[in-house]
Amino acid sequence: MITAGWYPVFLNEMLHFKRRLLKLGYLFSAMVVPIIYLIAFGFGLGKSVRIDGADYLSFLLPGLVAMSSMNNSYTWVCNSLNLNRLYFKTFQIFVQAPISSSSIMAGEMLAGMAKGLFASSLIIIVGFLCSPYFSLSLIFIMTLLLNCFLFANMGVIIGMRAKSHEDTATYSNFLIMPMAFFSGTFFPVDKLPVLFKTVIYILPLTHTSILIRKAHMDAEGTFSLCILIVYATVFFIYGSKLIREYSE
Amino acid sequence: MIEINGLTKIYGNVNAVDNITLSVRKGDVFGLLGPNGAGKTTTIKMLTALSKPDSGKCMINGFDVAIDPYEIKKHIGVVPQENNLDRELTAYENLLIYGMLHRVKDKESKISENLKMVDLWDRKDSSVSGFSGGMQRRLLLARALIPEPAVLFLDEPSIGLDPQIRRQLWDIIRKTRIEGRTVVITTHYIEEAEVLCDQVGILARGALIALDSPYNLKSSVGEYIVEHIDAQGRLIQNICKSRDDAHEIAKRQQSSVTVRKSNLEDVFIKLTGERIE
Repeated sequence: MITAGWYPVFLNEMLHFKRRLLKLGYLFSAMVVPIIYLIAFGFGLGKSVRIDGADYLSFLLPGLVAMSSMNNSYTWVCNSLNLNRLYFKTFQIFVQAPISSSSIMAGEMLAGMAKGLFASSLIIIVGFLCSPYFSLSLIFIMTLLLNCFLFANMGVIIGMRAKSHEDTATYSNFLIMPMAFFSGTFFPVDKLPVLFKTVIYILPLTHTSILIRKAHMDAEGTFSLCILIVYATVFFIYGSKLIREYSE
Repeated sequence: MIEINGLTKIYGNVNAVDNITLSVRKGDVFGLLGPNGAGKTTTIKMLTALSKPDSGKCMINGFDVAIDPYEIKKHIGVVPQENNLDRELTAYENLLIYGMLHRVKDKESKISENLKMVDLWDRKDSSVSGFSGGMQRRLLLARALIPEPAVLFLDEPSIGLDPQIRRQLWDIIRKTRIEGRTVVITTHYIEEAEVLCDQVGILARGALIALDSPYNLKSSVGEYIVEHIDAQGRLIQNICKSRDDAHEIAKRQQSSVTVRKSNLEDVFIKLTGERIE
């Protein structure tokens, strides 16, 4: 049977993922950061905080899912692609195969999405166990998928652009870390000073955090959805371009 | 089968490949011979669409690598100098992914056939990380042959291998040639170029300095070499056109002498004044 071009790229990553899953350390490392935040902010600080009349845990859990899906979709793709390109040279077999650059992009992106969704599902399980008010809506699931798609694409871009593995950490510190803390995971963005808020509204995770908490679509939700779609599309096209123009 | 015209690649101020023009006939084993840094690997990377040339043109099977890389990739198999097997995966998984990438129809039978060819069938489910260097080189060759490529590129295929494994690899390369494939091989092993290649291009500092069959290249130098060590301990070489001339010169030497047939390294030394290794 002849397979689509993206599938072997995806399968290659999934074979690695399967091996990681068999090691307990991976499960713990995927969960440890959000669980620490959940305990520290949700159960510790959260007891004395209410946001828009609701308990803090109900606010925090969707934000942690957004943050965790961002971290896992982005980090896995970025690290794997960068190491495979610069050190193991296994990325080169994709470039020398008769498949399109968008197939390579799609395979890497879907692998990133799968890992982001896996890590998010762990937080979702914890959410159901910890909060009686936690639920999944269609908007929540759509936003989660879009967020994984967007940040997996971003992972490809940084994985392709970083000149060394150390460089990926620099990108992570300047892009991922600020989003994790300021883009609405732990507190609503509208509580920030105006100038700072303008910058934060440029970041994609801010719009994920807004959209993922919506019970019904409204004007603000539609705007955030459009921003996320534009980001995701631009990242996919730019990532494909970087792969197409790859030259040693 | 392969036409290269004015191929050039520049890294910084260095012409890694400098205006190379050559052609390779269908079904030939073509060797690029030269020391490390001569531009062999860069040439292979440009021919296999991994590196974009700064100028010049490569045509394979009638397709321009710069314009139709997709068509080129359908017809080539590559054994790179740097081992790019996925070490975490098994031998079988490595070949399976490669077969899928190259859209091979009967992957399972090709994988089993090729793993048996390189004596690795009984290790098919073992992780590549546990393989010796020789096993990994054999697996790279088995992988490159999965899509049954019209052109097989081998970049220093026997580097670091012991003589027995190297000869086994040569047998497989000869077999692929019998099957009608064109083979392009880079090497800095003189013997490898001499025993395998129909045509040899000699590269030095990115430039092609000679191109002919191994026999003609050696004949251009002289068929016999008389070597002796002089009073200062230097190796002195005399090149002779015939065996009788060689023996005549050998008789005149007072120290012990060696008379041997010339090889491609003698050609390289004559052209550049340097040794290959």
